[in-house]
Amino acid sequence: MPLWSRLNSLARNLFRKPAVESELEDELQAYAAQVTDEKIAAGISPTEARRTALAELGGIEQVKQSVRDRRTGTSLELLWQDARYALRQLARNRAFTLTAVITLGLGIGATTAIFSAVYALLLRPLPYPDAGRLMYISAQTPRSRFEVLASQDFVAGQTSTKSFEQFAGYYYYYNQNLTGPGGPSRVTSVNVTANFLPMLGAVPQLGRLFAEDEDRPAGPPVIVISNHFWRSYFHADPTVLGKSITINGKSLTVIGILPPHFNFPDLTLEPDVYAAADLDRDTTIAIDKPMIGIQPIVRLRPAVSVEHAQAELQAFYLARLHKTAAELRSFFAGRKISLQPLQRHIVGDNRKPLFILLACVAAVLLIACVNVANLQLARTVSRRHETALRGALGASRLRLIRQSLVESLLLSSLAAALGLLIAFAITALVRNAAAFPTSPSSSRIAQLLQLPFGKLSASIYVDGWVLAFTIGLAILTTFLLGLAPAISGTRLDLRNALQSAASRITHAREQTLLRHGLLVVEIAIAVVLLASAGLLVRSFVNVMRYDSGFDPSDTLTGTTLLFGPRYQHPDDHGNPTPSPDLIRIFLGNLLPRLQALPGVQSAAIATALPLGEVHDTAITFGPPTPPPPAATWETAPGISVTPDYFRAVGDTIVQGRSFSGDDTAASPAVAIVNRAFAIHHFAGNALGKRFNWIVGRDQFAPLTIVGIVNDVRHNGLEQQVQPEFYIPESQSPSDTVNIALRSTADPILLANAMRKAVLAVDPQQPLFDIQTMDQRVASQVAQRRLIMLLIASFALLAVILSAVGVYGVFAYSVSQRTQEMGIRLALGASRRGLICLIVAQAARLVAAGGVLGIAGAFLLSRLLTSMLVGVKPHDAVSFSLAWILMTAVALLASTIPASAAARTDLVSVLHME
Amino acid sequence: MSPSQTNLLQGTLDLLILKSLKTGELHGLGVSRRIDQITRGTFQVKPGSLFPALHRLEESGWLTGFWGESENNRRARFYRLTKAGERQLGHETEEWQKIAAAMTNALKAT
Repeated sequence: MPLWSRLNSLARNLFRKPAVESELEDELQAYAAQVTDEKIAAGISPTEARRTALAELGGIEQVKQSVRDRRTGTSLELLWQDARYALRQLARNRAFTLTAVITLGLGIGATTAIFSAVYALLLRPLPYPDAGRLMYISAQTPRSRFEVLASQDFVAGQTSTKSFEQFAGYYYYYNQNLTGPGGPSRVTSVNVTANFLPMLGAVPQLGRLFAEDEDRPAGPPVIVISNHFWRSYFHADPTVLGKSITINGKSLTVIGILPPHFNFPDLTLEPDVYAAADLDRDTTIAIDKPMIGIQPIVRLRPAVSVEHAQAELQAFYLARLHKTAAELRSFFAGRKISLQPLQRHIVGDNRKPLFILLACVAAVLLIACVNVANLQLARTVSRRHETALRGALGASRLRLIRQSLVESLLLSSLAAALGLLIAFAITALVRNAAAFPTSPSSSRIAQLLQLPFGKLSASIYVDGWVLAFTIGLAILTTFLLGLAPAISGTRLDLRNALQSAASRITHAREQTLLRHGLLVVEIAIAVVLLASAGLLVRSFVNVMRYDSGFDPSDTLTGTTLLFGPRYQHPDDHGNPTPSPDLIRIFLGNLLPRLQALPGVQSAAIATALPLGEVHDTAITFGPPTPPPPAATWETAPGISVTPDYFRAVGDTIVQGRSFSGDDTAASPAVAIVNRAFAIHHFAGNALGKRFNWIVGRDQFAPLTIVGIVNDVRHNGLEQQVQPEFYIPESQSPSDTVNIALRSTADPILLANAMRKAVLAVDPQQPLFDIQTMDQRVASQVAQRRLIMLLIASFALLAVILSAVGVYGVFAYSVSQRTQEMGIRLALGASRRGLICLIVAQAARLVAAGGVLGIAGAFLLSRLLTSMLVGVKPHDAVSFSLAWILMTAVALLASTIPASAAARTDLVSVLHME
Repeated sequence: MSPSQTNLLQGTLDLLILKSLKTGELHGLGVSRRIDQITRGTFQVKPGSLFPALHRLEESGWLTGFWGESENNRRARFYRLTKAGERQLGHETEEWQKIAAAMTNALKAT
C-alpha cells in the first residue's frame, strides 16, 4: 500500500498549499502553451490558436478544481472550511451563540456533575481487589428486626459453607473511650475477624495485620490503627509499633498501620482502631450464652454463582435452626438469609434518589437542546436565501447538511467545555465538603453537600469515564440540535427559495409544525419536572410537620459512655459488667452541675434522645415468675431517663405523672409508656397497669405504668412511631449517657460549660457528639432536603428555559409576519386583537404541552413513590399547581412578542414594499 | 463523442496512463497523445480527467513528476514510472487480462 506516499502528499497538500497550487497552475499553462504552439505550427493564427487550445482544455479553473477534488486530504480541508465558516457564523450571531452555549453548558454541566456522583456511588468498582465477588450477607428475623448474623451462626457458617473463598465479618460496639496524655477522647473501633482486612486487600504500611489465631476469646490485646488515627493521635510517629493506647481502661498494643487509601466498607463508619474479633468457637445458641450480631462480608469462589451460594446459605441457615435451643426457636421463626453484592449493600437506599436526579437533570438538558434546536431552526429559515445560493453555486445537499452539523458540533463542543468546568467546580465543592467533616465553621453549602452521601463524597470526581460521558453528551446534543434544522433547512426547492427570498412570505408549514412540536415537548417535560418537584416539596413539608412529639429548639445535646473498668464490677461469674452503683454516683454528681449551668432551664440524662437509636428489649404481660416461655415474649424499646427528661426535650405527659426524685432504686419499679404502647397493649387504658421487662438472661421484673407521654420518633424522623416505654434512670442506670439541656440562651454557647461539667466529675470521661437538637433534626432530613432542592431547581430551570423557548418561537414568528400584521391593522384589526391573536396561538401550544405533561407525570410519578411522605404519587394539588405555573409563565412569555406585533408600524410596513 | 470515450472506466484510465509511461517519460500532452496512439484513437483523454488522474497516481507514489524541456523548448512537467509504478502496472495488467478473458468468455457463452 502506498500509505507513506499518501501521507507525504497529505502533508504537502495541507501545509505547502501555495506551492502545490502554483505548480498546478504552471503545469496547466504549459500544457495550454504546448497545444497553442502545435496549432500555430499547423497554421492557425496565434489568437485563434490560444482560444481553441483553452476551449479544448475545458477551462483551466475547471481542470484545477477537478484535480483538487481528487487530492488526498480534500475532505479534511473541506471540514476545516466548514468549521471556519461555522465559526464566522457563530461569531456574527453573538447573542445566539452566547445563549446557546450557556443554556447547553448549564445542562451538560449539571448532568455531568450528577453523573459523576452516580458513577462514584453506583458504578465505579469498590476499591478492593476483585470487588465484584465480594458479597454481604444479611439475615432477617421478623420477631427482632435484627439485620445481622448471630455470632454462633457466623462461626458455623465459616466452616460449613462451601461457596465462599473467604467468610469474614466485623462487629461494631459504638464509640469507645480513649484516655491518654492528650486528655480523654472517643475513638471508633470495630472488631474484625483475622481474614477481614486481607480479604479487602489491605496491606499495612507499617507492621502487620492480625494473625489467624488472634481472633479468639482472650486473644492477645493487639490493635491495627488507621492511617488517619496514626497521623492525628501519634503524629505519624514511625516508631509507633509496639506502643500502647488505653481504650476503655484496657491497654492495647499497636501492631500495624493501614494504608492511607483504605476505606472501610460502610458509608457511615470509618474506624480509627481495629481490634480482633473474640468469637467463641462453640456454635450452640442458648439463652445463657452471649450472642453478638456480626456483619458478614464474604468472597464468592470464582466458579460459583450468586444463586447457588444463596441456595446453599439458605439451606445452611434452616439447618442451623434445629441446633438452636428449643425455647428460642419460635423467636427465630421465619428468618431469612440473603446474599447481595457488597457494592449494592453499601450504597443501599442511595440508589434510587440518584437515578431520579440523573433522570431529572437529563430532562433539563433535553429542554436545553430543544430550545437551541428551535433557535437553529429559526435561523435556518432566515438563512434560506444563503443556503439556496450555496446550493445554486454547486454545494451538494450532503455538503449543506454537513455544514449545519459542523456548526452544531462546534456549539456543543463549546457548551461541553463550559459544562466540564461547571462539573469540575461542583465535584470539587462536594469533595471539599467531605474533606472537612461538619463543624460549626463549615459553610452551609458544605454541610448541605456533605451529609447526604457520607464519606463517599470524597470519591466524587471527574475522571476518564465521566469525561467520556460528557463527550458522549456533546455528540448526542450535536445530533439533537443539528439534524432537524439540517434536513429541514436543506430540503428546499432552490428556485422557489431564491425567488421568494426577497418577499418575506410566511415560512414553510412543515418547519412551523416542527418548531411548534418541539415547543410542546419542552413544555410537557417542564410540567413533569414541576409536578415531581411539587410532590417532593410537599413530602418535605410533611416530614418537617410530622408531629415529632418534642420541641427541638433551644436544646443542646451530647454523649459520654461510661465504658471500662472504672464503671464496672465483676458479675456472678467474675466477668466485668457495668456497675449500677458506680454509674449512679457519676450521674448523681453530674446532674446537679448541669442544672446549675447558667441559662439552663432543665437538664436531663437518657439512654436515647428523640430521633436517636433505640434497641428492642423483651417484655411480657402476666406474672413474671416462673420465667415466661420465649414464645410469649414481645419486644419494645425501653429508655432510661432522669426525672426532668420530658421537660428537657419538650415531650408532654398526657396522663399520669412524670418520674421524680422519689423514684429510687429502693422504691417500686415504675414505667411511663408512650401513647402507641398504651393503645397497642392496653387499648389506651394503661395507667396503673403492669408489664414485665427482661432483666437477666430469662429473668423478668414487673413495672407499673404511672404515666403516658406523647409519641416521639426514634431511629430517624421518617420511622413509624412504635410502642416504647421509659424507666427511671435511678432504677435502671445505663453506661450510655446522653445529655439534653434546655436553655434560655443560644444553646451552642453551653457546649464548653457542658464538657467542663463532665470533666469535673470524671477527668477521664470524653464528651462527644455535641450538637443542638435542631442540628440533629437537620442532619436527619439533609438528604431529602438536598434532593428536593436539586429537583426543585431543575424544575425551575426547566420552566425558565421553556418560557425562553415560547418567547423565542413567537418572537421569530412575529418578526416573519410583520407584513401580515400590517395588513391586518390596515384592514381594521385593533392592536389588542393582534395581541390576542398571538397569545391565543401560544395558548394552544401551551395547553397541548400541559396535557402531555400531566399525562407524563401521571405515568412517571409512580417512580417517586418510595420518596413520598404523606402525598400520593397522583397528588392533584402538585399536578394542578405545576400545570398552572407552567401555563402562566408560558403565556406571560408569549405576551412580549405579542405586544411587539401590536406595535407594528403600519406606515413603515407599507413603505417596505 | 462516441460512447467508448465517455465510459472510460476509472481503473482503465490509470492502467492506460501507466502503460503509456512504460516506454519512457512523457509530459501531460505526451501522455494524452500516446494513449490516443496506442489505443488507435479509441480513447481520447481530456485534460479534465487526465490531470486529476496524473496527480492521483503521483500521490500514490506510482509516478514522479519533474520539470523539463519539451520537444519545442517549452518548459513542461514530465512524468516517469517509479519502481512501485512498474509493479503496479504489471499487477493491473494481469488483473485486466483476467477480467477481459472472463468478459470475453461470458459474452461468447450462449
